[in-house]
Amino acid sequence: MDFLYSYIVFAEIYVLLGLSTNLLVGIVGIFSVSQAAVFGVGAYVVAHFLMASTPLSFIPSLVIAAACCVALNILVTLPSLRVSGDYFVVTSFGIQLLATAVFTNWATGTGGANGLPGIPPPDVFGLSIETTQQYMLLCTVGAGLGCLCFYLIMRAPFGRLLRAIREDETAVAAAGKNVLRAKVSAAALAGAFAGTAGGFYATFLSFIDPSSFDLDASILLLTMVVVGGARTLAGSIVGPFLLLALPQLLTLVDIPTTIAAAARQLIYGVLLILFMLFRPQGLAGEKL
Amino acid sequence: MTAYLQVAGLDHRFGGLRALQDCSFTIEQGRITCLVGPNGAGKTTIFNVITGFLHPDEGTVAFLGQKLDGLRPQAIVHAGIARTFQNLRLFTDLSALDNVMIAIKSQPGEEPIGAIFRPLHTARAQTRRRQEALATLDHVGLADRAQDLVRNLSYGEQKLLTVARVLATGAELLLLDEPASGLSAGALDAIMALLRRLQTEGKTLLVVEHNTRVVQQIADDVLFLHQGHLMAHGTPEKIISDPALAEIYFGGAL
Repeated sequence: MDFLYSYIVFAEIYVLLGLSTNLLVGIVGIFSVSQAAVFGVGAYVVAHFLMASTPLSFIPSLVIAAACCVALNILVTLPSLRVSGDYFVVTSFGIQLLATAVFTNWATGTGGANGLPGIPPPDVFGLSIETTQQYMLLCTVGAGLGCLCFYLIMRAPFGRLLRAIREDETAVAAAGKNVLRAKVSAAALAGAFAGTAGGFYATFLSFIDPSSFDLDASILLLTMVVVGGARTLAGSIVGPFLLLALPQLLTLVDIPTTIAAAARQLIYGVLLILFMLFRPQGLAGEKL
Repeated sequence: MTAYLQVAGLDHRFGGLRALQDCSFTIEQGRITCLVGPNGAGKTTIFNVITGFLHPDEGTVAFLGQKLDGLRPQAIVHAGIARTFQNLRLFTDLSALDNVMIAIKSQPGEEPIGAIFRPLHTARAQTRRRQEALATLDHVGLADRAQDLVRNLSYGEQKLLTVARVLATGAELLLLDEPASGLSAGALDAIMALLRRLQTEGKTLLVVEHNTRVVQQIADDVLFLHQGHLMAHGTPEKIISDPALAEIYFGGAL
């Protein structure tokens, strides 16, 4: 059962990331391939405050991590205001590579390539979360709140404004609305989701290293959004649950362990291409 | 006495092309003014300058005595001036109702904090705004198409929707860019009737139009623009019957 709980925890963490990516890439249309970098910052910040000489408890650390990621995401998406779609992807690429370089080389802050071990389990309102089952419940609450926020946003005028901005920014400005503020708000919110996911990730694994937050991870997030379905709540849930089930299904097939990781990457890549070609709206979404 | 809308000394170049050349005119409140002239005369450029989409090299625009220089488009809408686009620029994947609701000003829930932490307040306010939007659609004759996606509306209905969208902003000065172009006779009459109705309700209209029948039927004043400069202004009869202007516009008398 622990195995199932682990899978659910990871899936729920990636649901939060899926919401973040869907908001930024799907709804606002800022094609970012650096969401894993923001995820990583969230993870490292929470780890830092939980292991500091005067440690903070889980929720305050999460709040700080979310705040940092809000600021970071705003910064990272600012180039998109000047540089249009295709060119912004290149910029975003650079930002992701930069982040990976910092994670790998800033040994004092992030433990460098060896990573950061010994992250303590979270304590929430005095309750210590020890077992995987307890963690799963915590994570379910977190992911559930995230989904609720996403739902409320999309139902509200803000969601409609974002969808209109994606279609025609000039017309939105002509209707008297502040386009810049809406885009920055969306980017900030996406950052908050990603940072929170990072906090959960760090405390669940109790060890993080740069390889979890690299370009491959960013592309996996995009794959989840494309396969699950862009711009919808259902898509943000279906994508992670499905794609994280794949490695488990792979273990049923007899693949030598030496190429297991590569095989997984291959399958993700093939899925992404197939879906973009033949079913761009994913399983439960709208066309990206 | 301060003019309602005053455009003074506008000058603008796009590279080597001089789009506006010492362009000056005033608009009277409560009247329908038509802006006519051959293609390339600078009509849409003037719209872009007045509504803040383009900052002119020189010249000023003043509305009710307040200078609009340097203001962003959304600020100018708040000041009371709204425009439509020649190529419509509707949100095609949204419904007609949504297109109108976007333009309604100051709605709770237009930013994430309000949307997340005050969902009930947002929902209640949305219900009120929805009623307003339906009333606006009814006003232009689109009440029964409210839930339809824009991509499923006819061209004539889409043009009516662009007018509904500017009405929803609450602006008192409406700049309409070719509202009658491409319309069949029936749709044409509907839109002309709508524009006249808006005037009786206190709106001031500045309309770019190529169709002389439309200009004759709705305009109180006509501004004739040529090569970025105001060449003539007067009543529709005077402008349309002037052979020199007809030469410029049509390459021959009307």
